[in-house]
Amino acid sequence: MDVLVIPLIAAAACALPIGTLARPLAVFAGLLTVVAAGVSAWVGGSPFESVVWAGPLGAQLAVGMDGMSTALLMLSGVLFATGAAASGGVRSPRAYFALWSLLQATVAGILIARDLILFFAFWEALLVPLTLLMWQWGGADRRAVTLRLLLSWMSGSALLLTGILALGVGARTFALADLGGYRLAEGSQVLFALLFLGAFAVRLPLFPLHAWHARAYVTAPLPLAIVLAGIISKTAIYAIARICLPLFPRGMADLAPYLIALATVGALYGALLAMRQRDTRTFIAYATLSQVDFISLGVFVGSPTGREGALIASVSHGLVVAMLVLLAGSLARRIGSFELGSGGLASRAPLLTTFFIAAVLTLIGVPGTSGAPGDLLILAATFARSAGVGLVAAFVMILSAAYGVGLLRTVFFGPAAVVAERPDLRWRERALLIPLLALVIVFGVAPRIIGDLAERDAPATAGPGR
Amino acid sequence: MTGVAWDGSSVFFGSLVAVVAAALCSLAAARPSSGGRRGQEVVLLLLSAIGAVVTVVATDLVILFGGLVLVTVPLYAATGGRGIRAVERAMPGFLLGASATATAGYGIALLYAATGQTAYAGLGRATANPLYLAGLALLCAGLVTHLALGSATRPSILRNVAIAAALIRLIAATRNGDVALDWEVTLATIGALALLVAGLGALTERGIGRLVGWALISQLGYSAIGVAGSAAPAAALSLAVYAALGIGVLGFLAVVPAADDPTLSDLAGLARRRPVLVVGLGVLVAGLIGIPPTAGFIARVSVFEAAVRAQLLWLVLVGTVAAVAGAASYGRIVLACFAPPRLDAVAPPRARVATTVVLLAALAVLIVGVFPGPLLDLAQSVRF
Repeated sequence: MDVLVIPLIAAAACALPIGTLARPLAVFAGLLTVVAAGVSAWVGGSPFESVVWAGPLGAQLAVGMDGMSTALLMLSGVLFATGAAASGGVRSPRAYFALWSLLQATVAGILIARDLILFFAFWEALLVPLTLLMWQWGGADRRAVTLRLLLSWMSGSALLLTGILALGVGARTFALADLGGYRLAEGSQVLFALLFLGAFAVRLPLFPLHAWHARAYVTAPLPLAIVLAGIISKTAIYAIARICLPLFPRGMADLAPYLIALATVGALYGALLAMRQRDTRTFIAYATLSQVDFISLGVFVGSPTGREGALIASVSHGLVVAMLVLLAGSLARRIGSFELGSGGLASRAPLLTTFFIAAVLTLIGVPGTSGAPGDLLILAATFARSAGVGLVAAFVMILSAAYGVGLLRTVFFGPAAVVAERPDLRWRERALLIPLLALVIVFGVAPRIIGDLAERDAPATAGPGR
Repeated sequence: MTGVAWDGSSVFFGSLVAVVAAALCSLAAARPSSGGRRGQEVVLLLLSAIGAVVTVVATDLVILFGGLVLVTVPLYAATGGRGIRAVERAMPGFLLGASATATAGYGIALLYAATGQTAYAGLGRATANPLYLAGLALLCAGLVTHLALGSATRPSILRNVAIAAALIRLIAATRNGDVALDWEVTLATIGALALLVAGLGALTERGIGRLVGWALISQLGYSAIGVAGSAAPAAALSLAVYAALGIGVLGFLAVVPAADDPTLSDLAGLARRRPVLVVGLGVLVAGLIGIPPTAGFIARVSVFEAAVRAQLLWLVLVGTVAAVAGAASYGRIVLACFAPPRLDAVAPPRARVATTVVLLAALAVLIVGVFPGPLLDLAQSVRF
């Protein structure tokens, strides 16, 4: 509950005339969330609470944290703190940081809700701060891009609401704890899984539903791109693992071949497009599309190994995407645009190059970084399911190495281009990147920290139907 | 006293009418105008409110007709004004409204001819007489026509709450009688049509008044879906939410700079000049779209839940998809406030009372959205 209340208090405080204090407050709210989630996970306390909320509707204010939501909550705290720290000099800072903290609160709500109506409330409420942040603080063409994102996501939510109501009315409860014991008829599970996946796959985005995706990353303000790629897309993975898999085991098993195919195609497609990008932001967008579809593969194969790998890879990708977006911003400030291909920065800006190389190595899953263990677990789970798909997934990893190294070559090596006076990273930029890099390395060396969290709730999610 | 009922429904809708009337009167009293128009408008609204209460409690067709006339006629005068232009503008609404009332009266006459009595209880004991069905159809058509008229004028909220409450009572009387009428498909179709037509019609609309009108019609569509799902509490709740949203967004129109038929571009720069007001408007529009945590979301979920319970899954799909179209349309009202101000922009009027009413409505919508329990419990007293 505290993880929800902390950002709400921060948002409310922005209504006071606090001026420049808004940014430190938002950073602090993010960090405090990390602490609160960590404390409740490791020190204890009652993890599940429930009070009657809308009695006649049958909806409860049921919240709780399991291993997966704890890990993602801590990730969201880190990313929101980083994003807030990186939003220096925005216009109307109080409104911006109020919306920013509200966005953090809705993400936290999605991760802790243990009632489907409450979950949907947060799932949908997230759109309000997100849309307003893009609409007001976005880049060129923001109006059209925001509307497209809003309409795609709401169309998905329309299906989700229908599915939730149909399921809850049939089961006479919306609480996830009670729904766990409710078994749908096997024939209707596919339909329900599709209704729920409609919303989750759009937000992920799963392969053919990514129309809103690349342009949103270009248009969104950079800090928003961090949380959009880093945590908001992960809430979809969380929802598939936490809602679809346990509630519709049979339906998800029937759909698995198609979902695995779509995820594999999406991972390949994103990787291929990432190789062709001439703009760091669209590069990050397509690399993210490839990565999240790859991560979703771990969930769709339906084995505990795959889920554990998906969680580790989600955390790793969240951290690395934050690094990449920050570095893309630093790069753009130095060469004046997000265009790639200036070249020759390695000798002029050694620190920038080092951080960039570290981020790209993590992105492509080099052992020793946090990218490796998750990717390997997903790959292992995929091979266990089908050797053919495993082979294609392995090919995706090769392609990701190709686009990553290709990016490094065009940006940092080759003939030097004209750059700013002091091209290397300032201390302010380093201060944001160093903690992220430290986390990436810690999780690379000791992935068990996240793995233990994932295993903590393994019995509850094993899916009795499978 | 015969012909009226003092039950849970009367209390719920009677209180709602009182709250709406109070809000409308304070808006009317605060409106800057010349001469004695201000006082006249308050008197007309109060007359209309009396009619609304009569309509809400009526359980006899004759009393219902009296209430209907009393609630509608003062509103024609209240929405009109001085001068030939104002009268011309009010004329179509008056003619349509008068013919709707006449249709309802004709229906009442046929019902009396078929059943020999005017009490609702008599309707329940009806025989399968074609005259009976024709009369009921004409009566309901007249009432529903009223609901669709002039939806962007403030007094229409008072009228619509009263007429919708009367319709719920009528439907309850006829669906539980000897010849149990199956209202489900009819109401589901009306609700789905209201949502679809409003959602699509508003897509290309640029006038704020008409946009808001469409939005409020779709809110009434939610109530129809609630009744179709045999959930009177859900319908009552969504009517209350409709009233709060309607008072809020129509009160907001009083603050828009250009007085005569403002369009979206007239809102440019409002976010900078009146930030608090725009926050309130944002809450109200989120309520119209049905985004949590607003009362609009609670209303949407409760009527859709009722529809699912009544096996009307198609209706839920149509409704949720129409809500997406609605989001695209009504969302523009808020987003337009953030556009940079035009050079020739007129400063928005101060309008303290209107601002207060808008903010109170927004606050109510937000509080019910976060703590829906009490209002949901109150709505349980409205039963078929």
